[in-house]
Amino acid sequence: MEHAYLGIDVGSISTKGVIIDKQNNILSSQYIWTQGDPIGAVKELVRLLEGQFDKGAYKVVATGTTGSARKLVGAILGATMVKNEITAHAVGTTTFYPDVRTILEIGGQDSKIILVENGVAVDYAMNTLCAAGTGAFLSSQAKRLGIEVEDIGDYALRSTHPTQIAARCTVFAESDLVHKIQMGHPREDIIAGVCNAVAANYLNNVGKGKKIVSPVVFQGGVSKNKGVVTAFERTLGCKVIVDPNGHLMGALGAAILARRGSGRQEFDFSVENMEFSTREASCGGCPNRCEIICVYRGAQLIDSWGNRCERGAQVR
Amino acid sequence: MAEKNKRSISFPRYAEYNCAFKYIVEQALGARYVMPPVLTKRTMELGTKYSPDFVCTPFKTMLGSMIESLEAGADTLLMTHGLCRLGYYGELLEQILRDLGYQFDFINLSEYDMGKKKEYIRIVRRLAPGVNPARFLAQFLEGLHMVEYLDEITAEYFQNCGFDATGGDYRRAYQDFLTAMYTAQDRGDVEQGYRGAKRALRAVPLDKPRRPLRVGIVGEFYTAMDPFSNLELEQKLADMGVEIHRWMNVTNQFLRYGSGQKNLRVKIQDLCRYDMGPTSTANIWYARECAERGFDGIIHIKSAGCTPEIDVMPVLQNIGADYKIPVLYLTYDAQTSDVGLMTRLEAFYDMIEMRKKVL
Repeated sequence: MEHAYLGIDVGSISTKGVIIDKQNNILSSQYIWTQGDPIGAVKELVRLLEGQFDKGAYKVVATGTTGSARKLVGAILGATMVKNEITAHAVGTTTFYPDVRTILEIGGQDSKIILVENGVAVDYAMNTLCAAGTGAFLSSQAKRLGIEVEDIGDYALRSTHPTQIAARCTVFAESDLVHKIQMGHPREDIIAGVCNAVAANYLNNVGKGKKIVSPVVFQGGVSKNKGVVTAFERTLGCKVIVDPNGHLMGALGAAILARRGSGRQEFDFSVENMEFSTREASCGGCPNRCEIICVYRGAQLIDSWGNRCERGAQVR
Repeated sequence: MAEKNKRSISFPRYAEYNCAFKYIVEQALGARYVMPPVLTKRTMELGTKYSPDFVCTPFKTMLGSMIESLEAGADTLLMTHGLCRLGYYGELLEQILRDLGYQFDFINLSEYDMGKKKEYIRIVRRLAPGVNPARFLAQFLEGLHMVEYLDEITAEYFQNCGFDATGGDYRRAYQDFLTAMYTAQDRGDVEQGYRGAKRALRAVPLDKPRRPLRVGIVGEFYTAMDPFSNLELEQKLADMGVEIHRWMNVTNQFLRYGSGQKNLRVKIQDLCRYDMGPTSTANIWYARECAERGFDGIIHIKSAGCTPEIDVMPVLQNIGADYKIPVLYLTYDAQTSDVGLMTRLEAFYDMIEMRKKVL
């Protein structure tokens, strides 16, 4: 039986999973919405992945998790590798594009830029304090304009005169946009303007002071939006590569890191039928009142975290 | 002076320097010192609640800490002067605390000309009218000595604690040293505590590679140095197995910097021509120093809205590009969750570690 590796990326908006073989070929992949329930989403994801996966020929020997819920999901799945999403994206992308120099990534709530030299990340930046210009902004504006977020790209490409929209801050961008709508700007131009604003905001904030060198790979959920891709290509003056599996890159990176890591633990697909629950306990040791998260499988405590000092550990 | 006439003096929590404030107040001024409670989420909540929204985070932390000092029985608050907005904070803090209804005496060093010796005597006379200036000076210098020891041991600690082979002895030795400083009553206690710590730290076996990962820390004076404010960044990064180097501390910035300040400015004149704030020259100089010494990365720390440090960032970007050294910029606000910080730190660690293998 051949070895396979599972990688799961649980983001704020979507949950992604892949199973790969030793040569990084994708055996099974899924992309579903997190909908504010990472545990439920992962159980569903595991069920869907199992359906596409040939259990007779392969067995999953290592599991990696990444994304903002990596710790929680890692505890539930018994992951052998829990990695931050920046490293996972860098590793995933450099595996499939060894000569990439710049990785642009815009997700549901965060955005990052990773600079690569000789196949190794040498510098990165991630948005701080503010989620301006991410997927969440695009989907709320799509809702305002009464179109599906998936259709934004097509609308934007039909525009010949994109509307100027202030890109500094999401709140200002939104009032500017409303103003332009009421002035009578065509919908296509407004949408193209929003896409340009996202690209400009990204380059002015996350990309500030970073030397962007081609080849450029663009990924994350927003990379599926052709309008933003075009805006980047026009601003940067070079081709922007969007991988068909770009939305899975974090999960792929997690699976590759799990394969490279030393931990081995055969993955048990029966987690999809297990009951997991979390409970928040407040430590009374000092005025910090650390919020300690306890994760249970059935009635059994499998992990806990959140305490700043040993006093909180006694709650376990 | 009669016991009941003694002032109860306090100064907001600031990293571990409160042991030296305590020593100076108790030994040099002969007054009572009220130790502000350790900074917690409650301090931050109090500070944020009564602060203007867009003021920098150290203001909020200090306000919270001052309220907790007053609750603990302080009747005199001391506030430092400063070279940025900090210089105006004393007045604002006093006004906010008075509006909240607290009764206290407020000594704002911004109201004194800190360049003149006579002014120091005025402050001492106001705080402790009966004290002999010569005696005060001797004990005050001893307090400054404690600051030097504290900074020296802290620097040594963060360079090595990530490589402790015993799983905790190194940290315990450092904690014991802090306890000794917080309880010191005289010169003998300070010296003994320092020497004991030196011995204890040296006795712990370290498991350090020949070329460990080295990271330099630069940034805004309060947030870069106060572990509560930067969510224990230095300890977190050190625990991953990194040597942490930070030049900036009270010793280097105030006690030994004075005469060298001109030289630092000259040393960085090819990078920037003007002093941009209280710590910018030192930060730029040290960042380049780290780059030239072949460090693996630089971390720049500031609180949201710190203008002098925002001005430093473009220069650091140039240093990063010239010397090919990654710089991580971190901005802190009144948040107390460290999840986002851990993501960025882990990624930074992975990056410099993988990079070191290739380059």
